[in-house]
Amino acid sequence: MDAAERELFESAVRRATDSATGAALDEALTDLGWADALESDRAQAVGVLFEAQGAAGATSAALDLVMATALGVPDPGAAALVLPPLRRRDAPGRLGSGRCAVRGVGTATLARRERAVVVASATHGAAEAVAIERGVLGVAPVRGLDPDLGLVVVTGDLAAGDPESLGPVDWDLAVAAGQLAVAHELVGTARAALELARLHALERIQFGRPIASFQAVRHRLAEALVSLEAASALATAAWEEPNPGTAALAKGLAGRSARTVVRHAQQVLAGIGFTLEHPLHRYVRRTMLLDQLLGAGAALTRQSGADLLATGALPATLPL
Amino acid sequence: MELGEFKAAVDRWLDQRAGALAPEFEGIGTLDQQMAQLRKVMRLSYEAGFMRMGWPERVGGLGGSNLLRAYLGEALTARDIVEPGMYSMPEVLAPTMIDYAPPGLAAEMVPRLLSGEETWCQGFSEPGTGSNLGSLTCRALPADDGWTVQGQKVWTSLAQYAARCVLLTRTGTPESAHRGITAFFVDMGSPGITIRPIESMHGVPEFNEVFFDDVFVPADRVLGEVNQGWSIAMDLLPYERSTALWHRAAYLRRRLERLVAGAPAGALDPAAVGEAAQQLLAFRARSRATQRRLAAGEMLGPETSVDKVLLATAEQAVFDLVAEGLGTEVAMGDDPVSVRWRAEFLYSRAASIYGGSAEIQRNIIARRLLALGDDR
Repeated sequence: MDAAERELFESAVRRATDSATGAALDEALTDLGWADALESDRAQAVGVLFEAQGAAGATSAALDLVMATALGVPDPGAAALVLPPLRRRDAPGRLGSGRCAVRGVGTATLARRERAVVVASATHGAAEAVAIERGVLGVAPVRGLDPDLGLVVVTGDLAAGDPESLGPVDWDLAVAAGQLAVAHELVGTARAALELARLHALERIQFGRPIASFQAVRHRLAEALVSLEAASALATAAWEEPNPGTAALAKGLAGRSARTVVRHAQQVLAGIGFTLEHPLHRYVRRTMLLDQLLGAGAALTRQSGADLLATGALPATLPL
Repeated sequence: MELGEFKAAVDRWLDQRAGALAPEFEGIGTLDQQMAQLRKVMRLSYEAGFMRMGWPERVGGLGGSNLLRAYLGEALTARDIVEPGMYSMPEVLAPTMIDYAPPGLAAEMVPRLLSGEETWCQGFSEPGTGSNLGSLTCRALPADDGWTVQGQKVWTSLAQYAARCVLLTRTGTPESAHRGITAFFVDMGSPGITIRPIESMHGVPEFNEVFFDDVFVPADRVLGEVNQGWSIAMDLLPYERSTALWHRAAYLRRRLERLVAGAPAGALDPAAVGEAAQQLLAFRARSRATQRRLAAGEMLGPETSVDKVLLATAEQAVFDLVAEGLGTEVAMGDDPVSVRWRAEFLYSRAASIYGGSAEIQRNIIARRLLALGDDR
């Protein structure tokens, strides 16, 4: 995509995420050809959509599609993908003793698909993707901190031969793609929260001046922007060398940065930001959830550090 | 020359000439040794043509994009051949001359800078003028065929080695603030200039006080227009936050990997290592995007303040780890390797001070990027 194409694509995606969520957003994305963009220019397609989705607080089947595409399963849009439980990133299925045990979470997409793809691993052996009828799985909706996200808890215990095997897959690469998508969504979420705080700082008058004129407020918001731009730069650059190490760094930083941003935004928004009348709470909730999806920020950060200590090298070179 | 071709040529040359390019001292050496090393490397790179790439032909360059300069500095820094701070000074000084000096003067002088024949310095800060650059008081008064300069500069890097100085002076009334500033290109050998190195805590006397006592500067050494010096400074500051920062990112990467290789098992907290790795790679990603924008012909502006804050954050994160992982060496080591770690740790404390403090960068970000209006 060149700059002009990207601009057109971005405005079309923004229109979709600003006006629709869930199944309606999936339809709008189909209409504007997002899945084709995912095939032809994965980095741009994912970066643009997930930042827009985060900014709008919307949900879609895009994460399922990004990860299923990375897995290489046939007709990746047809099934929902079962994700690991929050804070984890290992495969949600486990094969052993003739059984296939499933424990994970699903996005709202799971309720709209007949089949789920589960990646399962044996104690020793490659990960394998299997297709499972949704009715065979336990699917329990959760409200929790962020009911709008529509997460479900997925459980299952099947005879190992029952699910249809889709063959061996590289789960770590699919997780890396998913982590980068979620990193962009965190950046979009944080950017929207920062904008709410920025507007409030300009409008809110205390001591006869907008609070935006106080350096304590200005520096908080400046710090938030720096933090956000760091996460955005790394998530964008990581697509050029998408490996599990780079994705973990990008997702870890995005989670930590977004939490920093919403913390500053909440402080600047003060009383009004603590109410349900103001939209900030949606971004606070979404940030907390996304930070824990496909590995929690703090744990990913620690793991990145441990990897660097073990290998002696950063996972990405980011050449000019 | 295309970037890929240039990279391969530089790498090949660095391999072939590794012996000739290597420093002849261990650790950081003395400042005299570092300067001799820098000049040698610049001369060899200039003679080989690499140092001329990425600079315009009218100042002795061979043309091509800024990415070529960025890569050369990265390669020299990553191989520990030069110290990035000193090496990167032409990244600000040469564009000043290219954009604002009379063309003949730029064509005569810039090759001397790039070839290592001369070192130049930048006379901006004063004892009463740190963050508030617009308040500077070093006066330039009209004289026959030129100007007379009276006043003092401070924090002037490498002034004791410099043949020339890009100097900001007050030419308007004391109240003229940013409207009454003029930039000059001053010969450091002029009568009336006294230089006093500042002993700094990291043990390298690279900063100086420079005193100007009725120093004559010819009229043809004005850079830009009289009383337009502020806009020169403002145009150039973003360049201080672009290619030079890319070089620094390469240096920090090498030092982090060296630290990880050298720290005793268990001395480093993986969480802190992970944070430093994130910050370093994010800074590198941001700086690379800036390099690419520059290469695409975009004007750099206040958004480079983000790059500067990220540099300071990454540099201090990396050297905070050094203070943990190599704590004994930093605290007690007197061998060249330890002395270097100690000097680098101490110098990293200045990363949020030099080139516009962290607070000034945040002021710029608040006003220019977040459009938060005036701060009073």
